[in-house]
Amino acid sequence: MTTAESTQPARRRRAWGLDNPYVFLLPALLIFGTFAIYPILRSLYLSFLDYEFLRPEQMRWIGLANYAEIIRDDRVTAWPGLVLPEAPLSIWEIIFYPLLVIWLTINAPGGAFWNSLRFTLMYVPATLLLPLFLAVLIERAGRLSTLFRTLNFIPVVVSVAVVSIIWVWIYHPEYGVLNTLIRMVPGLGEGYTWLSDPKLAMPSIAAMCVWHGLGFNMLLYLVGLQRIPLELTEAARVDGATGWQAFRSITLPLLRPTIFLIGLLAAIGALKVFGQMFIMTGGGPADSTLSMVLYLYNIAFRYGRFRFGYASALAWALAAFIFAVSLVSFRLSRERA
Amino acid sequence: MAISVDRARRLANTGLLYLVLLIVSAVSILPFLWVILSSLKPYEELYSKHLTFLPHHYTFTNYLQMFAKMVGFGYYYRNSILVSVGTVVLTLFAGSLAAYALARFRFKGDQVIFLVFLGTIMVPGEVGLIGQYELLSAYHLLNTLTGLTLSYTAFNLALTIFIMRSVFAAVPQEMLDAARVDGCSWWETFWQIMVPMGASGLAAAGTLVFLNSWNEFIFALTMNNWTDEARTLPVGIQLLQGQWQHWDYGVLFSSVMLTFMPVIILFLFLQKTFMRGLTAGAVKG
Repeated sequence: MTTAESTQPARRRRAWGLDNPYVFLLPALLIFGTFAIYPILRSLYLSFLDYEFLRPEQMRWIGLANYAEIIRDDRVTAWPGLVLPEAPLSIWEIIFYPLLVIWLTINAPGGAFWNSLRFTLMYVPATLLLPLFLAVLIERAGRLSTLFRTLNFIPVVVSVAVVSIIWVWIYHPEYGVLNTLIRMVPGLGEGYTWLSDPKLAMPSIAAMCVWHGLGFNMLLYLVGLQRIPLELTEAARVDGATGWQAFRSITLPLLRPTIFLIGLLAAIGALKVFGQMFIMTGGGPADSTLSMVLYLYNIAFRYGRFRFGYASALAWALAAFIFAVSLVSFRLSRERA
Repeated sequence: MAISVDRARRLANTGLLYLVLLIVSAVSILPFLWVILSSLKPYEELYSKHLTFLPHHYTFTNYLQMFAKMVGFGYYYRNSILVSVGTVVLTLFAGSLAAYALARFRFKGDQVIFLVFLGTIMVPGEVGLIGQYELLSAYHLLNTLTGLTLSYTAFNLALTIFIMRSVFAAVPQEMLDAARVDGCSWWETFWQIMVPMGASGLAAAGTLVFLNSWNEFIFALTMNNWTDEARTLPVGIQLLQGQWQHWDYGVLFSSVMLTFMPVIILFLFLQKTFMRGLTAGAVKG
């Protein structure tokens, strides 16, 4: 046994077993292996089975059939009647096709996968912008910056469950704060049924999540901003750049790693969204807020058949999608850098 | 003259800056403030068309009612404390021992083991949900605090090891050599050098793990949702909301307020540690 950086290569071996790196690793490996690695691999195995938890005797291997079912399942992907154009594509189709896909994603009729994607597309841009705005302001607040940082960080330490319950009440059509405020402004009408309108429910939840994550992402931005040497922006200002020009051409490019980190974390978190929907809407109205994780939870534990096989396949499909998203964004950030 | 115009503009800018910051910060904390104030309002005031900010009449009936009627609440509290503290202790113990081995020793398989830990940080925990339900069910650990604690420990270990490994790697080698010369075993060096030297790192990782387990929802909902004796606060409070939202928000508010208040107070006292822990958790990737 030798230490990593030790100058003496051969250490005196101890006769007793406690003084050994494997012993130090043992508790962690035992717990990790049993309660993290095993369940993850077990889920992968289950995803190839036709398996209902309450009927273990009917368990059988069906290969990729669960994954095929995901593609056919209208509650996962209700394909918006998209017909792929015959090749070759014209330049206009190449330009407009991605826009069309984004538009369809936002306006797609439904399905848990589209819902999760739609939620992500609402959540991530706002989470990239608003905390940056806040962080830049806080950096300039001088002595009071600590106070503002603390105040805005408070929601971060409160659980999703509690925040969701509070916002159910904020969004309450009759006694809720939001509608009360709307009613106070003349001409805005009686307010909205935020969580029971299929068009409004998802944006309402997304707005709440942006609020909830504001302080955390502000902190990440502040850490990123602190890494940028003050002299750089000051030199630019001396050379006659306006504050905005200095921000755009110096701060923003140097902030790219932070922006990437926040965007990726936000996207991963958004694709896994569950508790907010479970508590606030239960996936409704009309499945409009049924997220992927909520759907797989329902398949496994709510709909009565305890279809562990299919639910595992849903979980692994989502994980694969998240992995693909991370991989692609890593590639993109490499190329840009 | 030019100077005073310049000064006036700067003053106006600063004023605007503080105004915007004040509004944003108000939006961040008003919901919580509102819950606290509402929990002190009588029933009629909560359900009037004219919403009030400050209560017209202060009352503690909501709290008294809550303690009288919400029998499970005490259990939720106890369970959340036990599971979170248990997870923090177990994770820090197992995690920092492993981090010590990975940071300070070369041995067969060290790279592989570290990569396995690192790799699972990327895997969303939800993937293990069903496998874990089966596992806990097979060993009669469903609806037990032990089961939930072990599950939380497993999913917080990788992150803790990752954080603590870099903390321990930064401890100067001379200190270890000196301890060895004094006749300390590696086990003793861990407790006498590593733990004190890595104290602030341990505290940061500890708050991160604590917050993760205190706020965790989907695993608690899946594993510990049969009896009040097993539920944690997030699951319990969600259940209370389902039961109470239709007929008494006041009682619900008082329980919500008691759920978030301890964590917020803890955060206000340990701000630096919280923020360090949470950013360390984020920069993991």
